[in-house]
Amino acid sequence: MTDSRAGRTKAQISFTLNGETKTVHAHPMERLLDVLRERLQLTGAKEGCGEGECGSCSVLIDGMLVNSCLVPVLQAEGSNIITIEGIAAGDTLHILQQAFLECGGAQCGICTPGMILAAVHLLNRNPEPTLEEIREGLSGNLCRCTGYTQIIEAVAEAARRRAIA
Amino acid sequence: MRSHPSDYEMVAPGSLNAIISLMANEPGVWLPIAGGTDVMVQYAAGKLAARKLVSIWNLPELRQIETIGNEIRIGAGCTYSDLRSNEIVRREFPLLYSASRWTGGIANQNRGTIGGNIVNASPAADSLPALLVYEAELVLVSVRGERRLPYAGFHTGYKKTLLASDELVQAICLPRRFAGYFSHARKVGARCSQAISKVCIAALGRLGDGVVEDIRIALGSVAPVPLRLRETEQGVKGKAIDSELLHLARGAVVAEVRPIDDIRSTARYRAAVAGNLVAEFLKLLSLQRAKPSDEPVNTVLARWNRLSTVDAARNILSCCGSIAWAEAMAAKRPIADDAALLAASDETWRNLTPADWMEAFQSHPRIGESRSSSAQSPQVLASRDQSVEWSTQEQGHVAGAETAVKIALADANREYEQRFSRVFIVCATGKSGPEILEILRRRLKNDADTELYEAAEQQRQITQIRLKKWIQE
Repeated sequence: MTDSRAGRTKAQISFTLNGETKTVHAHPMERLLDVLRERLQLTGAKEGCGEGECGSCSVLIDGMLVNSCLVPVLQAEGSNIITIEGIAAGDTLHILQQAFLECGGAQCGICTPGMILAAVHLLNRNPEPTLEEIREGLSGNLCRCTGYTQIIEAVAEAARRRAIA
Repeated sequence: MRSHPSDYEMVAPGSLNAIISLMANEPGVWLPIAGGTDVMVQYAAGKLAARKLVSIWNLPELRQIETIGNEIRIGAGCTYSDLRSNEIVRREFPLLYSASRWTGGIANQNRGTIGGNIVNASPAADSLPALLVYEAELVLVSVRGERRLPYAGFHTGYKKTLLASDELVQAICLPRRFAGYFSHARKVGARCSQAISKVCIAALGRLGDGVVEDIRIALGSVAPVPLRLRETEQGVKGKAIDSELLHLARGAVVAEVRPIDDIRSTARYRAAVAGNLVAEFLKLLSLQRAKPSDEPVNTVLARWNRLSTVDAARNILSCCGSIAWAEAMAAKRPIADDAALLAASDETWRNLTPADWMEAFQSHPRIGESRSSSAQSPQVLASRDQSVEWSTQEQGHVAGAETAVKIALADANREYEQRFSRVFIVCATGKSGPEILEILRRRLKNDADTELYEAAEQQRQITQIRLKKWIQE
């Protein structure tokens, strides 16, 4: 399964990505973020700080929100990964994407994929969060444009719509 | 300078035995990596010295939380999210539970592990003081076998530990004997969440016959290692908590800590805050009545839980003069215990509108006076006697201030009221007249929005202190 190049071994690493099985041939310490963006051309996850502070590289691994800049790709072996590219159903936006659009929850767009995935993670665990719980759920995701108010409204709106759907 | 992945080797053997064998074959060569929240940051910065890494992420052998006899055994690979969702941790180890909530954002709580935090050995880690006061023991494992040692003493210096080069931390054991203790945790940082602490405290205490019967205090970020304040503990044990003891305790804390100046704070500030945090803990402890530890629910709370909604709201209004707050609190009943009450209050408060906040602000007298403004509803007025008494207690230090300070306060209050059209709100408990004056002058420079949020935060703190008094009435 491995070969040797430049003195170090690469490995075949397989996982499910947005519902499809993928195998990459990569150095084990490559960051999942780089593998997604550069080997698999999924550029929705963004690099903000590169040290787990800003949340713009957030993805879901086995349903758990993680910063993909802190995950060596070897640790993703066998897992189920969802990125922002995988949450809409074909042409139908996810309820959170729609709410972000309508509430003005996105401006420059750098934080938006991470914000939406953090919100998906939150609503999956807590379908009717209070505003305080929404703030806590998004506390690891920094936005420098919106001032957060519209983002929090978008999540609250999505929760309301889901409750009546 | 960023690291290049081709310079690193990494394996994931998938079982504890395979991992410790690997580490035994080349001691000190293989760096264990769990959730990567520390290691990958060093890697990204080009500062990771190790070139060979072994993944210990998500090993079943390290990810259990079990109760064995009279202790809880937490696998070192448990994440902060695992700790937060564990019922025993939440109920019996509230200091560890709250530290787990403060550690990073959700994504880092999903990956960061308790064992990783222990081995990373940062003196600023929020969870480590809690382990010190709960008298944790560590189970270390290598091919040579397991050994168990007290967590206190595990850190031998800045980022140095007793872990041998072929060993892993396997589990953290906590004795289940602190459920009846009053506990208090607080983190002082540049902001509430996601900031590394300037100083943090975890403390446990129990009163008996009016004196401190037992006490444990630990601080983070005040020494090269997380620090248990044994001298200070000895100094207050067996004594009644009064102003003399608080003075003595502050002195003992300042003598015992060894803080430094760094990017986040100064040694002088840290020592002063450390003293204040311990004094605050002792004051809160003194408000606890000695009570049998097996009593399931506070009696005030139990009685309040049974009141009609209208009466319950009226009853709690003396803690915070917003009717919307009081009604929301009444609607949240039954509330199980002190911790749930305080958490419910914070949540309710943050979700109120600025108009509700204003109503609560209006129920307070001007600092230095004893009567609140008269533009209030009958409900708020009815709750006023208790509120006035508390205001007098809270402002106790101001009453004793020098005349010059009182005059300056009165002037600054007037300026504040002209500028922001409301009374100045500050959590006055334990603050002297000159301290309040300094705060007031600083806040006069705030813009309207910043000031509104600052006042709301102060009111939140006042409410917390009043709720703690209220349930002890």
